[in-house]
Amino acid sequence: MSPVLEAHGLWVARGRRAVLRGVDLSLQPGEGVALVGPNAAGKSTLVRTLAGLLPAGRGEVLLENRPLAAWSRAAVARRVALVATEDEAPGRFAVEDRVALGRYPHRGPLAPFTVEDRAAVARALRQAEIEHLGRRPLGTLSAGERQLALLARGLAQEPAVLLLDEPAAHLDVRHQLHLFRVLDDVRQRGVAILAVIHDLPRAAAWASRLALLDGGRIAAEGSPALVLESGAAERAFGVAIRGVPVGDGRERLWRFEERA
Amino acid sequence: MSERGRRLLVFAALAVAFPLALLAALSFGSVPLAAGGVLRSALARLGLPGATPLPEVGEVILWSVRFPRVLIAALVGGGLAVVGAALQSLFRNPLADAGLLGVGPGAALGAVIAVDLGWAQERFLAMPFAACAGALLALLLIYAIAHAGGRPTLAGLLLTGLAVSALAAAGTSVLLVATEEFRVRTVLFWLAGGLEGRGYEHLALAASFVVPGAMALLLLARPLDVLALGEEEAAALSLPVHGVRILVFSLCALVAGPVTAVAGAVPFVGLVAPHALRALVGPPSRRLLPASFLAGAVLVVIADAAARSFGRYVELPLGSVTAFVGAPYFLVALRGQEGRG
Repeated sequence: MSPVLEAHGLWVARGRRAVLRGVDLSLQPGEGVALVGPNAAGKSTLVRTLAGLLPAGRGEVLLENRPLAAWSRAAVARRVALVATEDEAPGRFAVEDRVALGRYPHRGPLAPFTVEDRAAVARALRQAEIEHLGRRPLGTLSAGERQLALLARGLAQEPAVLLLDEPAAHLDVRHQLHLFRVLDDVRQRGVAILAVIHDLPRAAAWASRLALLDGGRIAAEGSPALVLESGAAERAFGVAIRGVPVGDGRERLWRFEERA
Repeated sequence: MSERGRRLLVFAALAVAFPLALLAALSFGSVPLAAGGVLRSALARLGLPGATPLPEVGEVILWSVRFPRVLIAALVGGGLAVVGAALQSLFRNPLADAGLLGVGPGAALGAVIAVDLGWAQERFLAMPFAACAGALLALLLIYAIAHAGGRPTLAGLLLTGLAVSALAAAGTSVLLVATEEFRVRTVLFWLAGGLEGRGYEHLALAASFVVPGAMALLLLARPLDVLALGEEEAAALSLPVHGVRILVFSLCALVAGPVTAVAGAVPFVGLVAPHALRALVGPPSRRLLPASFLAGAVLVVIADAAARSFGRYVELPLGSVTAFVGAPYFLVALRGQEGRG
C-alpha cells in the first residue's frame, strides 16, 4: 500500500533556529503512529508542517504522492485534519455548531450546508460518542468532553489523515481511554493517525508504530517495544527504560527510572 | 422552551420592536405627532385611497425633518452593532467595540481633517472617505500593536484601544484649536455625536455605505465563526486568516467611517447590542449579526428620540445618551468576563 502522507528530508526553522533537521516519516492508511520525544524535540512543529501550516525550508511533504504545496489549502484541509491540545473556541458556541465548522473546507465561506454536511456532523458526534452533548455550550463541558468535541470537529472534516498534538494532555484516565478507543475506531475505518503522545506507556499500548523524535530527527522508529528498548529512547529522554513482559509475554509493563 | 423556540421568539420580538421604535421616534419630539396620524400620513404617501395626510406643518416636520433623521439613527445603530459583532469575532473578545478600539475617534479625526483642509466643502464624499481612512488606520494600528506579542489579552486590547483613541482625540483637539471659528461647531459635533439637522443627503450617504457593508459582513458569517476558533485552527481549516482579517477590517471601516461622518461618535452601541444578543441567540454570526443590527437600530432610534426630546430648546448629544446607558453596561459585563478568567 502506498503511504497517504510522507515527509522527506524535512528541515523546518522557527525564527533562526532549525527545529526539524531532516525528518523522514510516512503514514499508511489505517495505521496509528505515536510521535514521542522529549520536550522541544520538534513534535508540534512536525505535526504543523505535515498539516501544511508551516513551510518546509528543505525537503518536502507528500500528500497522496503529490507535494503539499501543489494542493490548494482547502483540498489539504479536506484530507488532513489537525486536532490541537486545547480547544480555544468561544465558550458559548454549541458543540454541534463548533463541529459543523469542520465542514468549512468542503463548503467554503458561502455555500449553505447540505444534507451531506449534516450527516457528516452527526457521524462525527456519534463516533466521538458525544451525540447527547450536541446542543450544550462548550463552556459547560468538562475538559474531557471538550477535547472529544474538538476531535469531532476533526472527524467532521472526513480526513484521510488525522494529526493530533497531545490530545490527552489534560484528560483523566477514563477520558483518555475513551479518546484512544475512539481513535482506534477511526483508524479501523482507514484513516491514518499521527498523534503526539507524552505518556509513553499509553503511546506503547495504543500505537501500531512509534516514531521517536530527538533533536529534530527521527532517532528510532518501529514497533513500540522495539523503539522503547532501542537505547535511542533512553538517550533521548535521559532515563533508564525497562519493559517487563506481562500476561502472555507480548504486552509489557514499562518502568522508567532517573539515571544516576 | 426549546433553544430554537427561544431564538425564534427573540427574532420575532426584534422584528416587532424595530417598526414600533421607528413609529414611536417619528411621533416623538418637540412637536408631538399622533402615531395614528403618522401611520395615515405614511399610507397616504404610498398612495392608499382613504388615507389622509397630516396638516401641512405636521407633514413638513414628519417627512423633511424626522423621517430621514430616524432612518439615519437606525442605520447608525445597526451599522455600529454589526461592526461590533464582527470585531468581537475577529479579536476573539466579546468586549471589543469600535468606540473602545479607537475606530470612532480615528474616523472622527479623518472627518475633522477633511473639514479642516476644506475638502469637505468642495466634495460631499470627501468627509466620509476621510472618516473611512481614519477608521481603517486606527484598526490596523491596533491590530499591529496588539498582535505584536502573540494573541492579545483583553487588557492588552483595551489598553491599546485606549492609547489609539487618545492619540486620535489629541489629533482632533490640535486641529480644533487651529480650526477657523466658523467651522468649530461643525467639528465639535463629532466629539459629542448627534443627528441634529441631518437630512436626506446624509441618509443617502449612510445607507449607501452601511447597507452594502453590513450585508458583506453578513456574507462573511462563516469565515468569522471559523476565525473565532483561533488563528491556528482557522488556518488548518483552510481559511486565509490574514486575508479575511484585512477584508473584515476594511468592511468595518467602510461602515464605521461614514456612520461617524454622519452621526459623530456614538459609543458603546457596538458593544451593548451584540453582547446582549449573544446570550440570547448564541455566538454563530449568521444569527448574531442580523439580530445585532436590529437591536442596535432600535437602541439608537430610541436614544436619539430621547436626546431630542430632553428639553424644549436644547438637544442632548446622542453620544452622551448611548454612553450613559453603555458605560455602566460595559462595567458590569467587564466584571462578568474577568470573573470567568
